[in-house]
Amino acid sequence: MTYDLTFAKDVYQKAEMGHWIKMCMQCGVCAGSCPLRAHWQHSPRQLFQMVRAGKRDEVLKSSDMWMCTSCYNCIVRCPRELPITHIIHGLARYAETQGAADPKQPTRRFAVDVFWKNITATGRVGEAMLTMRLYFQDGIGAGIQRGLEMRDSALGMLKTRRLNPIPFRGKIKGYDGFTKMLAKAAELEQKLENKA
Amino acid sequence: MADAHAAGQTILVVGGGISGLTTAVEAAETGYNVLLVEKDPHLGGRVAQHNKYFPKLCSPTCGLEINYQRIKNNPRIRYLTLAEVEEISGSEGNYTVRIRKNPRFVTEACTGCGDCSAVCTTEVPDPFNFGMNQVKAIRNNHAMAFPSWYYMDPEFAKTEAAKTVAKSCPVGAIQPDMEATIIEEQVAAVVWATGWKPYDAEKIRPYGFGQYANVTTNMRFERLANVYGPTSGKIVRPSDGKEAKKVAFIQCAGSRDHNYLPFCSRVCCLASMKQAAYVRDQYPDSEVTIFYIDLRAMDRYEAFLQKTRDDAGISWMKSKPARIEEDANGNPVVIGENTLTGERYALPFDLVVLATGMEPHSAVDAKVPFAGASQDDYGFVTGGVLAAGCAAMPTDVASSVQSATAMAMKAIHAAVKRG
Amino acid sequence: MEPKKIGCYICTGCGIGDALDLKALKAIATKEQKIPVVKDHALLCGSEGVAMIQKDLDDGTVNAVIIAACSHREKSAEFRFDIDLMERVDLRDKGIWLLDVKEGDETAEEDRQMMAEDYLRLGSVKMKKMDIPSPFLHSEGSKDVLVVGGGLAGLTAARDIAKAGYNAVLVEKSDTLGGKMNSMLKVTPDNLPPYRDMADNFIGALISEVEADNRIKIFKNATVTKTSGQPGQFDLIIKNASSTKEIRVGSIVVATGFDLYDPAKLPANLGYGSSPDVVTSAEFEKMAKEGKIVRKSDGQPAKRVAFALCAGQRDKEHLDYCSGACCIYSMKQAMYVIDQFGIDASTYLIYQEIRTPGQMEDFYRAAQEKGAVFIKGDVTGVSGQAKGGVAVQVNDHLMRGKESLEVDLLVLATGMVSTVDTTDPNVASPVGTGRDELPGSILNLQYRQGPSLPRLGASGFPDSHFICFPYETRRTGIYVAGPARRPMGIAATMTDASGAALKAIQAVEAVAQGVAVHPRSGDLSFPSYRAEGCTQCKRCTEECPFGAINEDDKGNPLFNPARCRRCSTCMGACPAKVISFANYSVDMISTMIKEIEIPEEDEEKPRILVFACTNDAVPALDMMGRLRSPISPYIRIIPLRCMGSLSLVWIADAMSKGFDGVLLMGCRHGDDYQCHNVRGSALAENRLSKVSETLQRLKLESNRVKMVEVNIMDAETLPGVIGSFVEQISNLNPNPYKGF
Repeated sequence: MTYDLTFAKDVYQKAEMGHWIKMCMQCGVCAGSCPLRAHWQHSPRQLFQMVRAGKRDEVLKSSDMWMCTSCYNCIVRCPRELPITHIIHGLARYAETQGAADPKQPTRRFAVDVFWKNITATGRVGEAMLTMRLYFQDGIGAGIQRGLEMRDSALGMLKTRRLNPIPFRGKIKGYDGFTKMLAKAAELEQKLENKA
Repeated sequence: MADAHAAGQTILVVGGGISGLTTAVEAAETGYNVLLVEKDPHLGGRVAQHNKYFPKLCSPTCGLEINYQRIKNNPRIRYLTLAEVEEISGSEGNYTVRIRKNPRFVTEACTGCGDCSAVCTTEVPDPFNFGMNQVKAIRNNHAMAFPSWYYMDPEFAKTEAAKTVAKSCPVGAIQPDMEATIIEEQVAAVVWATGWKPYDAEKIRPYGFGQYANVTTNMRFERLANVYGPTSGKIVRPSDGKEAKKVAFIQCAGSRDHNYLPFCSRVCCLASMKQAAYVRDQYPDSEVTIFYIDLRAMDRYEAFLQKTRDDAGISWMKSKPARIEEDANGNPVVIGENTLTGERYALPFDLVVLATGMEPHSAVDAKVPFAGASQDDYGFVTGGVLAAGCAAMPTDVASSVQSATAMAMKAIHAAVKRG
Repeated sequence: MEPKKIGCYICTGCGIGDALDLKALKAIATKEQKIPVVKDHALLCGSEGVAMIQKDLDDGTVNAVIIAACSHREKSAEFRFDIDLMERVDLRDKGIWLLDVKEGDETAEEDRQMMAEDYLRLGSVKMKKMDIPSPFLHSEGSKDVLVVGGGLAGLTAARDIAKAGYNAVLVEKSDTLGGKMNSMLKVTPDNLPPYRDMADNFIGALISEVEADNRIKIFKNATVTKTSGQPGQFDLIIKNASSTKEIRVGSIVVATGFDLYDPAKLPANLGYGSSPDVVTSAEFEKMAKEGKIVRKSDGQPAKRVAFALCAGQRDKEHLDYCSGACCIYSMKQAMYVIDQFGIDASTYLIYQEIRTPGQMEDFYRAAQEKGAVFIKGDVTGVSGQAKGGVAVQVNDHLMRGKESLEVDLLVLATGMVSTVDTTDPNVASPVGTGRDELPGSILNLQYRQGPSLPRLGASGFPDSHFICFPYETRRTGIYVAGPARRPMGIAATMTDASGAALKAIQAVEAVAQGVAVHPRSGDLSFPSYRAEGCTQCKRCTEECPFGAINEDDKGNPLFNPARCRRCSTCMGACPAKVISFANYSVDMISTMIKEIEIPEEDEEKPRILVFACTNDAVPALDMMGRLRSPISPYIRIIPLRCMGSLSLVWIADAMSKGFDGVLLMGCRHGDDYQCHNVRGSALAENRLSKVSETLQRLKLESNRVKMVEVNIMDAETLPGVIGSFVEQISNLNPNPYKGF
């Protein structure tokens, strides 16, 4: 493997908060702070060094940055004030826009295939549909099984009005503005892509 | 030259630690008058609290003794203890300074016989040992304290008991009604040598200092290992007095960290290696782990790092630990990622020592009271007055002495300019 | 000289009066010691007590004072009289406070009284043996300072000396001032904010300032070919191509800087010489200064640059230390590349540990912010590329594997090697420093112990107590500044030079008054010798830790009092007892030993003599007193200036007198020595190895004499050390010489 900064420079420029990756001093505090540390392969600081080493495919195909639950422990503790949570999300988004993300990564599938579609269709999240789509994305059998597994939680949420069983119909007020906003964001993103 | 120095060409040195002492004796031995102002009851400052110096593992008292002798033998040096500079005006070559001399409640007639301490029944937490033990309300800090006159705690001085204690003094040196006095002086140069204080480790929440009994700090550990410390030098756990044989030292606890002190305190790595040696010397079967980001054993101190590395009882973990928890046995458990292997660890210890960094006094409780003074973002003094040692930068003893000697030269320049 | 009129003043405060029979004590002073004025006071250090003494001095009754009160380390301000002779007898700290006497225990009370009387005797005979030291003065002394080296350290030192009102003589071996600074494009921040930015090279302004100062005389293309004499009168020969000048100066600052480690000697894996595109930091700096950050192979822009830190440093086969400045220096150079090539630049710093102490952590962050990439690892191989540039193989510690870099240039951060010469091949072996031969002498000192400054420790730094007293060398009046002393960066060098300059002017002032410099600052005494008794054995000239004594053709010592630190090692070294000080001599201590009363054998009161070093052991004993840690009442303590002054005659004297044992308390010696005179305790130990001959001659057991290392903080353990020696001695038969 050869160190090459082409990838890193692209990330610094295009990934949200990506330029902060330069500032990591490899202390490892983020790794020890992450509650999901049992579930990823590379800690944030490892990902950052991989970016700087030019390991493009390994980083972009990695499952690691999709694991972040935004608990912010790492941001709070990072001695260099890196906004690690945001960088991690930025890297995930970057992997997606580069078309390099692993399509089978569950969080990615949820985010891109389920959540994004759900929210952009109406302008707000429809919890019932979102849950259905998520549970049944691997087929009916798997969906039923998951539903049964989560039954107690679902009932509890219903009782405390945390889950609205009635699907949201129609569109939010000002849906046009909402879609325009999304279009503008996409345009800006494209501009950044072209500039690089 | 020396005899030609006119009266009034006095150099004011603020702070009686190793830097201030050095500036004072070096300037005085070159022929200049020095006024040395120290806020504590004794000279010696932070180094007097240290058990040993790295890399020679020798006692700071040894070098301090030479400096105290130089002060005792040199009538050009005047020193004030329990004194603080309240205001500076004027400019280089011609400053007016106002000094507040707080009451000691014991005059210089004190012979150090100790009768008062024997009579006194009131005890207070010992600030010299960071409150880890109780001491008499009238005392001196340790047997080598200089000047050796006793002092009384101001709160105690207000009590009736203080009057009884005062009567015990065979030479009538105790005066509980002593009041602060204000002194004004004209000086040619001001050398700020107010040193540092240990960063407040309680602010580093994930490490649980103040919450877990067996998480301590490097300066407390220094007292713990000292024969005049709270345990007479026995390295034990604060929680249960058990011998601390499995000890972790965590570097950059508060240093190199934007949440606390963004700069590197320079000495902590070496100080931890030294403290590792205290543990290893006391318990041959001990195990020490040093957690670090970068090992900063600058220039010739590298040899000390190599020597420490040769000890198989000391292991190294390149990692800034994320947090500390406590297990059911009261063992602090250090949690983090080994950056050389990528493995996560959760390691229990008898005792965890946080290598807390240096906060300059000039940033918090000894700001330069002078409109012309400048300081950097961290509170280190950069101009307006001369700054020596850790008032200028976080640094070790050798380089503090180097800086303090240089500042004696700069102060002399100011005095010469005044003519 | 006016005859000695001794007054002995006994303090009865602090329990002394209660513990001792004052009448008997005064009788010792008056009747036995024949001291004309003997007075006592209940609080001698109080204003009344002091006034009592002052009155006797003022009316001429007394001109030499014995104060029998507390330790000499107490009440020094109160007992500061304008007189030449004063002796403190410690009846308190090392006297009554060291004895545990139960009320009504008559034997113990008697022992305590005997001890106090002995100490009064010791002080009395010591005073009688003391002469007034007169300062060593020289009418043609110089207060000018020689500064060798016209680089940053030398220029700073010369400027500071001149600004303090003294003349400086600056000798530079090349034709330009500025030294290595001249080659620098930018400098790292000078310890002043903003710490994150490179600063402009200021050496030009400093050179102009020095050149414009008429207090500074500059010799270029010149070297010092001879330095003879002593502080205050160092006579120099300064030579350049065309002329030879003889100059007298008072003190010297050596600021000759460093050489860079020879890159040809670097480990092969770093690839120096394998490709033109592998350069040293110094070579890269020159390229940057010339505006040519290019590949040396083909002149193409060098946008991709790797820096290998610790090149040939922190390595037992090369320089075993860290140069302390290279991390920051290399970051600066990475910034050059980034500033020139912007987004196209790729810079890598391959490091073991990043060392950016203090506020320089800001500079580290600034380098990262600009985009420099830091790789923790080792360079395992370098190969030149046909297309230009080099491929660098790295064992990457954080990525845990072999990585490689393709770069236009690899810059090796080589270390600093002091230019201070040494005659000790162990200190500057060609392996350790990368030199093919030892460097030539800078000062060519005409000293018996050689032309060079002694260097200490495995890496050979030319200082002697670098923690507490970093400027002290083992050659009085000669101070080393900057990277010649120890590796350091720009800001530290300037600070170091100012400090060394201060020490240099301090030394000339001390010499002008005829007093000693550190550690016995202000001491007026100096050694002299009785020529007729000298056996030309040369021990004094060899052993002097400060090289103060030269030899004449016949091997007689030639003392240079201004080089002397008054440690009195020479006195202890001399087997013929011919070396002495006005106020300290072999005879004085011998007489003191003989003055101590030795009880008859049947009284079963042994006597043990303790020689205690005044720097560490005496304060430790004082501390024991403060802590009221009792020791045997059979001990008698005689403080010595330094263990180095130990004369074996004293051991023989003590044994012939009937002492049952002698315990010597010296400072730690060896690599981490604590002796303030560097070699004193080590030499004493060495001398003691021959004491068994003396004991054999007297037919006495060899374990009657023991030397222990005592640290100033040993007050807690010292009672045990003393106790076990007392026990050991009490297991032996009494010394048969008692009563002879």
